[in-house]
Amino acid sequence: MTSVRPKLKPETPKAVTAWETATGQTVWMAADGSWTKEAGQIAAFTGDEAEARLADALKQEGVVTDPYFMEVTESGGITGRETLRETIRANGPTVAYGESA
Amino acid sequence: MYRYDEFDARIVSERVAQFRGQVNRRLSGELLEDEFKPLRLQNGVYLQLHAYMLRVAIPYGQLNGRQLRRLAVIARDYDRGYGHFTTRQNIQFNWVALKDIPDVLESLAEVEMHAIQTSGNCIRNTTSDHFAGAAKDEIMDPRPWCEIIRQWSTFHPEFAFLPRKFKIAVTGADHDRAAIRVHDIGLHMRQRGDVVGFEVHVGGGQGRTPHLAALVSEFVPETELLDYLEAIMRVYNRFGRRDNKYKARIKILVSELGADEFRRLVREEYAAQREHEKIALPQEEIARIHAYFAPPELIPASGPNEAFEALKVEDKEFARWARINLHPHKVDGHVSVTISLKPIGGAAGDATDAQMMTVAHLAETYAHDDIRVSHAQNLVLPHVALKDLPDIYRELKAAGIATANESLITDMIVCPGLDYCNLANARSIPVGQAVQQVFADPDYQEDIGRLHINISGCINACGHHHVGHIGILGVDRKGEEFYQITLGGRADEKAAIGDIAGPGLKADDVPGALKRVVDTYRDLRTDKSELFIETLARLGHEPFKEALYAAD
Repeated sequence: MTSVRPKLKPETPKAVTAWETATGQTVWMAADGSWTKEAGQIAAFTGDEAEARLADALKQEGVVTDPYFMEVTESGGITGRETLRETIRANGPTVAYGESA
Repeated sequence: MYRYDEFDARIVSERVAQFRGQVNRRLSGELLEDEFKPLRLQNGVYLQLHAYMLRVAIPYGQLNGRQLRRLAVIARDYDRGYGHFTTRQNIQFNWVALKDIPDVLESLAEVEMHAIQTSGNCIRNTTSDHFAGAAKDEIMDPRPWCEIIRQWSTFHPEFAFLPRKFKIAVTGADHDRAAIRVHDIGLHMRQRGDVVGFEVHVGGGQGRTPHLAALVSEFVPETELLDYLEAIMRVYNRFGRRDNKYKARIKILVSELGADEFRRLVREEYAAQREHEKIALPQEEIARIHAYFAPPELIPASGPNEAFEALKVEDKEFARWARINLHPHKVDGHVSVTISLKPIGGAAGDATDAQMMTVAHLAETYAHDDIRVSHAQNLVLPHVALKDLPDIYRELKAAGIATANESLITDMIVCPGLDYCNLANARSIPVGQAVQQVFADPDYQEDIGRLHINISGCINACGHHHVGHIGILGVDRKGEEFYQITLGGRADEKAAIGDIAGPGLKADDVPGALKRVVDTYRDLRTDKSELFIETLARLGHEPFKEALYAAD
């Protein structure tokens, strides 16, 4: 659904991210397989485990929408080609809005 | 303005109930996203970068105080205290939770609003001149025809699954303020003797392949308009490409066939319509719809208004606002007021719930309960007496929406860009803000005069960059934002697509580069009456390109 989703190599650390279906908020998969809204809890997966995690996410249609891989560092920090997009997904707009604008 | 009849009210509330069921099934997991997506899009619900977005239709940009208050309440209770007015004269809420959207739609239905056909491959909100029914230079009021088109196109079963989305605009003044030449169909109202009719332009559009519309008919009489539109839609529905999303808009069909062949097909289709299919609007029905748009009873006042003139002398800021943000009205002693949603450093088109409440109050108190959204993302009070301007200004100023910049360089059209949009490649809002800062000095802006800068964060061109006098297009190069500059676009009756000036610039370099271009214009213009776009046309683009890429 995003305009750009680069293919990541199996060995590249990646997180599983999606939108929470009920609210549309950004969520990531934590190490225990649960969904978190805390960017500090982003878990990095590689290889077959990553594929299994994404497959698991795809089965949770009522809970999350359109899960996909995003590139992260080994410790779960946002990195790579889509850093700006994923940082905005994580932190919200880079400009003030509403009353604070 | 138009009021729902029983039938309108019923179909809108039935749609809300239907969508509530669909949302519930989505939340339970019974509907998968792939199944749900076309359903939510038919109800104006997008899934953006970090939230759902709800786009609410504001037919031809007109709403009353009660409706704007309701939008404010929705912004406050279901969003984060603001809404975003768009180039289709609609409003978008950026943070609405899916689980709440049926309640939001129900609340909208109570004030005769909905989100139907604000997305998807159907006929979208018909747009118009934001000064319709008020402008001194208007020949005929386009709103009744926008409403007739709205009624014809809403839930039209034949046009619910077009090859691609479809946008119609109507104007009734010689000066085109509705950008009709960059619409799928642009209608310019004309009169021949006693007969009202429409000049029909087809196949305009922006996006990745911008086209100006071709003149397909010089005059379609009003009683034949819907049949003629239906013939166009049928030709498009039959021959428009469905194999390639990027070639599916009618502009591609018209361009590939050529205007003559397209016109021939439309005439053939029109002639083939059987008698029982013809809509052939009866005059009584045309008159019935027109009655909803009867002008307010304004008492003409000749000569200057004392209170207005006195405050202009006393308060230079007010005098500036009055010079810039007022538009001539048909009735003496009256004006149309533009409420700029482009404060320096703000996000273009955004208004807080409190600001919406203020505008609703002003409309109800002073302005015949009539509010417009302009395609340039501002609000308008179309019917205001000069004597009320001081009070209106004071309230606008207190609400932070008295910026004096209508059609000046800081009154930019700016799409939400990568700060909100799932399709964007680059941010638009911060670039717009940085450009505004460079031109923030009110005297400088006023000296520059009318100059439209339009910014899009991707090639889909929601920010109308192709038709900005200066256009800015955000592109992504290996994860870094760059901005391509176009020169010479315009959206009015002399519509033109801007030319790409050269290589893209880094975000930080854009404001300085544009300042060099604008200062070059100030050096080269014959005098202040020659607008930027006119100097550009007279001298060609070279001196401006040189300035754009000159080192600091």
